[in-house]
Amino acid sequence: MSQLQPTIELAPATTPAARTRLRIPGWPALLLRNPKSRAGIVLVGFMVIVALIAPLISVSNPTDFNLLAARQAPSWHHLFGTTDQGSDIFSQVVLGARRSLVLGALAGLLATVLATTLGVLAAYSGGVVDEAVNFLTNVFLVIPTIPLLVVISAYLKSRSMGTMIVVLALTLWAFEARILRGQALSLKNRDFVLAAKVAGESTWRIVFGEIMPNMISRIAAAFVLVFYVSLLVDAGLEFLGLGDTTHVSWGMTLYWAQTNSAVLQGEWWPFLFPGLALVITVLGLTLILAGIDEVSNPRLRDEVRRRGFLRSLVLPVRRAA
Amino acid sequence: MSVLEVRGLSKEFGAGGVLHRARLHAVDDVSFSLRPGRITALAGESGSGKSTVARLIARLYDPTAGKVLFGGHVVGRRRRDALRYRSQVQLIFQDPFGSLNPAKTVRHHLARPLRIHGLASRRDVRARVEELLETVGLVPPAAIADKYPHELSGGQRQRVAIARALAVEPRVVVADEPISMLDVSIRVGILNLMRDLKERGIAFLYVTHDLASARYVADDILVMYAGQVVEQGPVDQVLAGPLHPYTRLLIESVPDGHGGLAPIELRRGAAAAAVDPAPGCRFVDRCPLAIGVCRERTPALVEARPGQAARCHVTAPAPTNREDIHAQPAA
Repeated sequence: MSQLQPTIELAPATTPAARTRLRIPGWPALLLRNPKSRAGIVLVGFMVIVALIAPLISVSNPTDFNLLAARQAPSWHHLFGTTDQGSDIFSQVVLGARRSLVLGALAGLLATVLATTLGVLAAYSGGVVDEAVNFLTNVFLVIPTIPLLVVISAYLKSRSMGTMIVVLALTLWAFEARILRGQALSLKNRDFVLAAKVAGESTWRIVFGEIMPNMISRIAAAFVLVFYVSLLVDAGLEFLGLGDTTHVSWGMTLYWAQTNSAVLQGEWWPFLFPGLALVITVLGLTLILAGIDEVSNPRLRDEVRRRGFLRSLVLPVRRAA
Repeated sequence: MSVLEVRGLSKEFGAGGVLHRARLHAVDDVSFSLRPGRITALAGESGSGKSTVARLIARLYDPTAGKVLFGGHVVGRRRRDALRYRSQVQLIFQDPFGSLNPAKTVRHHLARPLRIHGLASRRDVRARVEELLETVGLVPPAAIADKYPHELSGGQRQRVAIARALAVEPRVVVADEPISMLDVSIRVGILNLMRDLKERGIAFLYVTHDLASARYVADDILVMYAGQVVEQGPVDQVLAGPLHPYTRLLIESVPDGHGGLAPIELRRGAAAAAVDPAPGCRFVDRCPLAIGVCRERTPALVEARPGQAARCHVTAPAPTNREDIHAQPAA
């Protein structure tokens, strides 16, 4: 596949070190070399590290009442200021990173597994299986995510993270399944698939061993896309007040700031810092997605070379047909 | 003493619109057998059905009618039977750029058949893969094995594809135009490789549209036109003295000329005679020799010379006292 080719240009297989690098699939290395995805990986990596060390750098209870310290602007004592209840916003933000990242990753994983399995199996099997999966995909495609989530959140007693993940995955997988099915369709009649059949491979191995490795960049893109969409939707719902008010998350911090009319009081910090955290995470994921696109689509790569890195960031990324 | 026999093989594809379902007779009543240590060429123009025959033998398609006998037996439909068949009958694809998985190394392509059919233990696979690469002339094998297909040239890829086919030690190899996508300079190398492999007792079916390479490598030849075998026999005999006008036409179109045959006049006519064929000879519209009966009855494959048979009313007329056993019922 085309995305593998540059590995050779950049790492001529002369030294033993280059040799072993080649044997690992080439695209993670390519992603690190692409400026966009490298920037994205740095941003997301930073967030992951923050989430991992959160308990070490935050106060023990980020929702603690302390009316004496309420509505304080950022200071050395409270880096991101305090809420109207006097809770430390810095602690809320770093601990909130955990929820956002875990929720996004799990929803992305679930949706990707669903989309990949159903999409590729449908394409390869054809016939009734394909029809059935297509019907299912179409049904899920027309379900609007956010209204459905609003309704579900309003009805469900437990607004737990698990429920959220399942609902997000179930509403977001269909779009990816459609794309992955299309790509698998174009691969399934390639000679190498027939050759695997002649060699005696089972259907299962052809689907997962021969076809899927050629779709890995598109599958990774699906995961990243669902990751940041679910993260945004989750924060959005919480901001609207449809979240679990006992939890610590970026959306909840924003919700409380809104509810207590922080802006009217001239307090910008309860909005700025969780918002900034959201922006950094989503920007990082978007950059990774753009990098995957470029790495797997040589035409885009050339365009970046022509127009320059910064301009290619500003202008919309043209997707491959 | 044939290892693989094809009997009355037919394959139809649906073609055309919803109201009028036309049937494309891609392969129509084809019979032949392959013998160990011999290369049989299957020649014909594009769309004559030769690749379909190759894929029918490789069990990538199910035949509409007829059967493929391996060692005298029809192959069962169960997975175990199919696997056994696949360990004996292999297909080499035309396009070496498409027949290797771009995401997998050469080693994967050669090791999988060995593992699937249990021909090498996990420990021996490595040595066997390198042995195979050496057989097809890819050295140094240890370095080649770890390359991805895009790191190889077209000729090298086709050698990998051949090595993959040989991995299971097949008794029959169907090569579907193995050299047509390669540079002229490396074609002979692949043909010579086939000749060497033939000495090991492999029965080859060499599908081609190139009579010169067929003469170079093959022992016998089958000429197909519009889904039917129109002439068959030993390759030297057929090419020196073709019976069917279509075979003559093919020989005439070889650029370097051959045998000093007088050029035949070609009549206008469509080549796509295999869609809903009318009774009569399928070549009739292009044939300079056509007579009245050619439009009425499909000619049978008649052995007009020892070992050489053709499907033509004019040059290979059926003996009048014999029942026309190969004749087609009007389609």
